[in-house]
Amino acid sequence: MGPGDIWNLIIGNPVLNVLIALSHILGGSFGLAIIALTIIVRLISWPLTKRQLSSTKALQDMQPKIQELQKKYGKNQQKLQQEMMKLYKEAGVNPLGCLWPMLVQFPIWIALYQAIMRALATTPENLLDLAGRLYSWGTVNQAIPLNSYFLGLDLGGQGNIVLAILVGGTMWVQQKMTQAPSVDPRQASTSRIMLLMMPIMFGLLSLSFPAGLGLYWAVSSVIGIIAQYFVTGGWGYLKLRSPSEPMPVKRK
Amino acid sequence: MKQRKALFLAVIALLPLVLVSCIGGGQPAGGWSGTTVYDGIVYAGTMDGRVVAINSSTRNLEWSYSTTPVTAPSSGLSCGQTSITAIYGTPVVDRDMVYIGTYSGQVVALNMLARRENSTFPQQRYGEWEWDCPIDNAKSNAIVAGLLVREDAIYVSSSNGRVYSLDKEFGDLNWESKVLDETHRKLWTSPVIQGNTLYVNTYDGHVYALSLETGELLDWSFESEAGFVSSPVIYEDIIFLGSFDRRLCAVTIGSDVPMWKFPQEEPAGNWFWASPVVNEGIVYAGCLDGRLYAIEAETGEKSWEFDTESPIVSSPVLMDNLLIITDESGTVYVFDLSAELEDEAVPLKAISIGASVRGSFCAQDGLAYIRGEDNSIYVVDIDKGEVSWKIPLTAKE
Repeated sequence: MGPGDIWNLIIGNPVLNVLIALSHILGGSFGLAIIALTIIVRLISWPLTKRQLSSTKALQDMQPKIQELQKKYGKNQQKLQQEMMKLYKEAGVNPLGCLWPMLVQFPIWIALYQAIMRALATTPENLLDLAGRLYSWGTVNQAIPLNSYFLGLDLGGQGNIVLAILVGGTMWVQQKMTQAPSVDPRQASTSRIMLLMMPIMFGLLSLSFPAGLGLYWAVSSVIGIIAQYFVTGGWGYLKLRSPSEPMPVKRK
Repeated sequence: MKQRKALFLAVIALLPLVLVSCIGGGQPAGGWSGTTVYDGIVYAGTMDGRVVAINSSTRNLEWSYSTTPVTAPSSGLSCGQTSITAIYGTPVVDRDMVYIGTYSGQVVALNMLARRENSTFPQQRYGEWEWDCPIDNAKSNAIVAGLLVREDAIYVSSSNGRVYSLDKEFGDLNWESKVLDETHRKLWTSPVIQGNTLYVNTYDGHVYALSLETGELLDWSFESEAGFVSSPVIYEDIIFLGSFDRRLCAVTIGSDVPMWKFPQEEPAGNWFWASPVVNEGIVYAGCLDGRLYAIEAETGEKSWEFDTESPIVSSPVLMDNLLIITDESGTVYVFDLSAELEDEAVPLKAISIGASVRGSFCAQDGLAYIRGEDNSIYVVDIDKGEVSWKIPLTAKE
């Protein structure tokens, strides 16, 4: 059994079959199935997301101290890094902790991309290949062949500009909510680039990837925004305009 | 420093996307054209989109014709193919003409003499023509199903959801049907004719009856809960089709309810992808679960079965009293239908050709002509139980 077979056995085929079964349960709508799968994925990764959001919240709370350090050691980057790491350690915060939920989602992206292409069977080979991957569940077999259209979008075809804006926009909002401003001009500039680069990149990618994957990204970001709103208690840094502006505190 | 950081994060984010694009989720269209033998010449479509004619006596290539490629829509970060030249249908030979439909949405009529002379295509004085299927607001105009040639017309099922009738001599359009499957569009199965009616099945679970003269829908149609995956076969007013619910369905023309479904209780292990063949009241149906089922045409009762242990993609073929099947593992099984076959039948012969088989094949004068997925033609001597000869179809540089 090769790595490809193991991948299909553990992730590829289960995601494919769940997606098809969901499609049947949700009245034959493949789009609703992708949305439902996104919610399921976000629920499964909730412990990690929660930890990430707690880290984000802790980082937000630490901002006055971080800004103080930036003012104090702004000219000595090495010292600033050391002091910040010390601060993170004392607070029990891992600044890279926010990467884990993203990394966990990578296999899901791959599996979902494969599942969309396989389930919609754009070539006769794909349809034949699909036959070998389906479980014997009644719901799965009743769902085939799938309708690839959802709200006018061909989920197996490339995304359109509306989807691209939705993907980029929701990703920007989600990032903006968590990205703390920096008084260090260089760091602030990097943050600004990242805040724009990722949403633009994913927006553009959703124009060339199957629209179903773009739908997953958009829904995933919307769920992220909602989760962040409730866990961190508000819109975070979304309304903040300048680095000198203090972090908004939600009244209890 | 900031550029490096930004670049690192961008690479991290892009990595899975590059991976998904290159690993891909789909297989490219390669085609699985079958074989036809006529007057000592074997005709087949190749995986690089050519129609070839091979002399079965000399084993030489008589001629080859390259069909027009189609540009594949790019997906993801485009590691995949950009142009496709696939042929799924089997060439149809009618006197001195060879007809084929291509994945690029063309039907071509090739004259044997003109192709032997390697003349520029189309040679109208030899009766050659080409016809471009319209996309018609669909995703594709690919022709996947085999062509049906009857009297002076050719019937074409297209991925745009319509059936077309073309004039056999000039390639002019006689008529086009309405879109038969609005949801999926793809008509990847061949139509079948009984009397003056053309029967077409769809992925959304319909069988439609069309007028052979005008293409208009006739009064009768059949609707099933599950979509139909295999091309229909007609035997004494009964249409046999494989459906996505892992059953073989028998429908009497004119009836609203299925005559029977096989298996009646639990579904089979997979789809009945290949069209069955019917002989003396018995339906022989290969299944992707690897089993060949012999079923009573009237009752849907199983007579016997045989497990090849590998998916059966290609339709069975009858030659005299012999039933020949192939499977994806590349084994050719031969059953003697004149013998008394028990519940678990035993084949007369099992011959390995060593290459997977998906396309339809033909058998004549004790020889089976099979195109393997390694893009070679295998000629199997059924009596001797061995591969008589093999010829690769790879184009010479």
